[in-house]
Amino acid sequence: MKQFILTCVLSFFALITYAQEYSISGYIKDASNGETLIGATVLVKGSSQGVVTNVYGFYSLSLPANTYDIEVRYIGYNTISNQVDLTQGDQRLDLELGTDNLKLEEVVVTAESDDANVTDLQMSSNKLDIKTITKVPSFMGEADVIRSLQLVPGVSSVGEGASGFNVRGGSVGQNMILLDEAPVYNSSHLLGFFSVFNPDAVKDVNLIKGGIPARYGGRISSVLDIRMKEGNNKEFHGQGGIGTIFSRLALEGPIIKNKASFIVAGRRSYIDILAKPFTDVLNGGAALNFYDLTMKANYNINENNRVYVSGYLGRDNFKFDAQQGFNWGNNTATVRWNHIFGQKLFSNFTAIFSDYDYVLAFGDDEDDQFDWNSRIRTYSFKPEFNLFLNPKNELTFGGDISLQQFDPANATVVSDGEALNISLDQKYALEAAVYLSNNHKITNDLQVEYGIRYSKYWLIGPGNSYIYGDAEAGTRKPIEQTVEHNNGEVIQSYDNFEPRLSAKYLINSKNSIKASYNKTNQYIHLISNTTASNPLDVWTPSSNNIKPQTGHQVAAGWFRNFGANNNVEFSVESYYRLTFDQIDYISGADLLINEYLEGDLLSGDGRAYGLELLAKKNEGKLTGWVSYTIAKTELKVDGINDKEWYPTRYDQTHNFKIAAFYEINRRISVSSNFTFLSGTPTTYPNSKYVIQGSYVIPHNNDDERNNVRIPNYHRLDVSTTIELGKLVKNKRYNSELVISIYNLYSRRNPFSIYFTQEDVRPEGEALSQTEARQVAIIGSYIPSISYNFRF
Amino acid sequence: MNALKTKYIYILLLLATMACDDQIFPTLDDGEPVVVIDAFINNKNEPQSITVSQTQPYLNETELLGIEDANVSVTYGVSNTSVVFDHDSNGVYTVDSGFGAIGDNFTLTVVVDGETFVSYSSMNRVPAIDSVTFRYEEFAGFGQDLEFYMGEFWSRDLAGPGDTYWIKAYKNGSFLGKPEELSITFDAGFSSGGIIDDVIFIQPIRDSVNPFDEEDNGDFISPYADGDSLYVEIHSITNETFNYLNELITQTDVEGGFAALFASPLENLNGNIENTNENSDEVALGFFSVSAVEGNGKRLDISEVPIEE
Repeated sequence: MKQFILTCVLSFFALITYAQEYSISGYIKDASNGETLIGATVLVKGSSQGVVTNVYGFYSLSLPANTYDIEVRYIGYNTISNQVDLTQGDQRLDLELGTDNLKLEEVVVTAESDDANVTDLQMSSNKLDIKTITKVPSFMGEADVIRSLQLVPGVSSVGEGASGFNVRGGSVGQNMILLDEAPVYNSSHLLGFFSVFNPDAVKDVNLIKGGIPARYGGRISSVLDIRMKEGNNKEFHGQGGIGTIFSRLALEGPIIKNKASFIVAGRRSYIDILAKPFTDVLNGGAALNFYDLTMKANYNINENNRVYVSGYLGRDNFKFDAQQGFNWGNNTATVRWNHIFGQKLFSNFTAIFSDYDYVLAFGDDEDDQFDWNSRIRTYSFKPEFNLFLNPKNELTFGGDISLQQFDPANATVVSDGEALNISLDQKYALEAAVYLSNNHKITNDLQVEYGIRYSKYWLIGPGNSYIYGDAEAGTRKPIEQTVEHNNGEVIQSYDNFEPRLSAKYLINSKNSIKASYNKTNQYIHLISNTTASNPLDVWTPSSNNIKPQTGHQVAAGWFRNFGANNNVEFSVESYYRLTFDQIDYISGADLLINEYLEGDLLSGDGRAYGLELLAKKNEGKLTGWVSYTIAKTELKVDGINDKEWYPTRYDQTHNFKIAAFYEINRRISVSSNFTFLSGTPTTYPNSKYVIQGSYVIPHNNDDERNNVRIPNYHRLDVSTTIELGKLVKNKRYNSELVISIYNLYSRRNPFSIYFTQEDVRPEGEALSQTEARQVAIIGSYIPSISYNFRF
Repeated sequence: MNALKTKYIYILLLLATMACDDQIFPTLDDGEPVVVIDAFINNKNEPQSITVSQTQPYLNETELLGIEDANVSVTYGVSNTSVVFDHDSNGVYTVDSGFGAIGDNFTLTVVVDGETFVSYSSMNRVPAIDSVTFRYEEFAGFGQDLEFYMGEFWSRDLAGPGDTYWIKAYKNGSFLGKPEELSITFDAGFSSGGIIDDVIFIQPIRDSVNPFDEEDNGDFISPYADGDSLYVEIHSITNETFNYLNELITQTDVEGGFAALFASPLENLNGNIENTNENSDEVALGFFSVSAVEGNGKRLDISEVPIEE
């Protein structure tokens, strides 16, 4: 494989034979703080030639020897042009874009060039600028990355308060969530109400739902690529706020002016501090809090070398007293080195550490205790290269190698003074991938990115593998044999070629059509059989019993811009997605601390299709978007629903959302969003029977799954932001007040319907009665107020 | 564990005050009636019963739709001794006393409307209960200041992994039969995953014999008060019965409100009763299980229970 890649790379290098061509390259940055700009357009004025800056804000453009007017555009910033003399040789041109003060306060809906909707090759992606995220009326007034994503087409969830999100019919565990390239295994605080990303430290959020580029892999549904701010390298600034849930503070500034900067951002919930005077439950070691800390520093060694170090740590703590409770959290660390070889080859080397763990402890005294922790750890290294070969070809190639360490349970039980260790063995998996992709402008109108990713996976010893016997579909498979494996021995391996293809045809400057296909593979699996994923869910590696998941997706769409400045964007996309070897569960599956977990897992196929419409207005006093998705997502599993297709728990037929932002004047703006979702499926019984006089069992004669839909969901949220202006003498100090109401008309939106026997103790021989009940997670309107400042 | 659970619920209440849970009246399809055989018998020297009935529409008033003309018999042991259960009333078939010995295999045969259903079980070993005790507990917070007494039973799981038991508790002679009170164990712990063998049953299981009830006004009731009795039985069950009861708990002990976030889907229970005619479409729901039983009890006299810090 290595040779194959080398040959490919070399043959592409051999293409560099254009006579008398020189390159212009450099970084595009924000003039106010030195942050690099991702996706800025660098154009040769008067021609259609141009490139877009990569995720590090770097561009390179090769042109025949001549003098050019180079124009750089980025929405929300002033366009600048610069004359460049390319007759003498390669040129380095780092540029900084400024903003008008007037534009500064406007909500910028997309952070990219103004015609990107039509001209960008990438389809099926939604970028959210952090300014947009902070303007969306939010739950409890806390700006939230993942909740904001719920407003874009193609994204759904099992319901309010549920952790994670579902993209184009994929499950929560099929999304790759990357924070500065480090995978984040649990994106939620407080079980699912808030996401773990601190908006003060986030620079760019990009959700890729289809046409996934070859450089991403490891999950079959989507990629959520979150980039942190680098920190202002010109002057020291801070921002923060006091909200209903969190207090936040972020500090950023230069370490060496224009060369090195840092950002540190922290948040902590303080419901426990507020509650303390009212209850003594929180004394004696009891705790209820969650916090996160995000840090990043970068150093611009010289114009060809730059290093970044970033880290995240977050934790949720629930303690009943000093000894008992549970807590969980993610830690990530990323070290990156950007190096520019010559003018055309941009490289990035990333070393990543990511860890998710949880701890539970129960027991009043030493004689009777239960202690349990579980973790998943990833160490990875990713070299990545962007070769700006010529104006028509931009190559991306690289690799990715990750060691994953699974620790499903480290547990001890003490019963009446006798201790037992019930830990499960650790598991180790190695995942490696190489990829090569070319972004090829075939003509001025036709652009194609074709690539291939080759992924390989090894489950390695020490550890056991298990051989199971046959069982009736949907029931526990009996263990027949346990095989021990030595340190380093390959227990099982898999490999896959994952082709990726995206194409764009520009009909004219306002119209384009795009299409894409991607195959994706996933080697590790989130094990969760509850409605919403919870912090105790574990990840498990593929093995002789669990095959890797495979996803195929085709998508096609029409993209149209309106208005003089392309300020209204419209798109319609359709997709069809097929997945294989998805995980499901037998009824009564025992998922935690179970050595024979694999005997309780089922495997099935999925299919999903839909149509997504999005209209967006990017500039002016009124901005926002309208999004509509009509979709279906189904599963077929041997052992569930008689092996017939059934809709998933998060299948939403209609999904309609409006987000609107209006600037009344320079000090006051209002925002609103409205959501309408079709009811999600659930299972109704059609009969019941009594066991042992006490237990009334619901039964469905046809053994159906998700045969009925709960009522529709709709909700309106509003908020207003009032700039308080420079209240303090220090001129730099600015503050604002954000008042918001979530679920304005107090609708008790159903989360689920369940069937149960009455919770009363029947007298004598009487039998329990049964009833149907409906749950609303948020049963009323939730007002909140927060105060934000920056200096 | 239950005291702990109470604290845990109070903390979740803080978060969950926003959630609401309302009774609704949806229209459900009515399934065709299906035969149900409810056959849990044991070796106690007291009348044993097996119930043969039919399923009924889910939202109807729960009643026993007994089938009165079935033939019910159980054979057991190496000599295949046959015991015929006689119809008593409304689909309940009885014999005067438990039978069989530990290690015996049992076969249930039920003939209903020309269909013959069979099922198999066996009587496994069971440990004795050394004692039943009470302890004093306190809980303060959220406007509550509670003092209460909890019962506990003491028994040691038999050596060797794979024993499964159903712990049944009787307060003042009444079986604690709420789904949330159904307590089953795999060896001395909760599940087959981590082997907790040959120790005293772990504390949450020892504590599972306590009812947590409320007054009509929502006030907490002490699980046991002075003079109340607690009688605990351990029924040995097969691993298959353990799995069935485990599924039964999932489908009947359904918590609403905020806990709905982490609910499991509604699924049918996997019974162990088969039709001898493989070509027949008629099925029977329910389960056949045989247990050996050990028991012990105590009456609470608060003057004997120390009040600790």
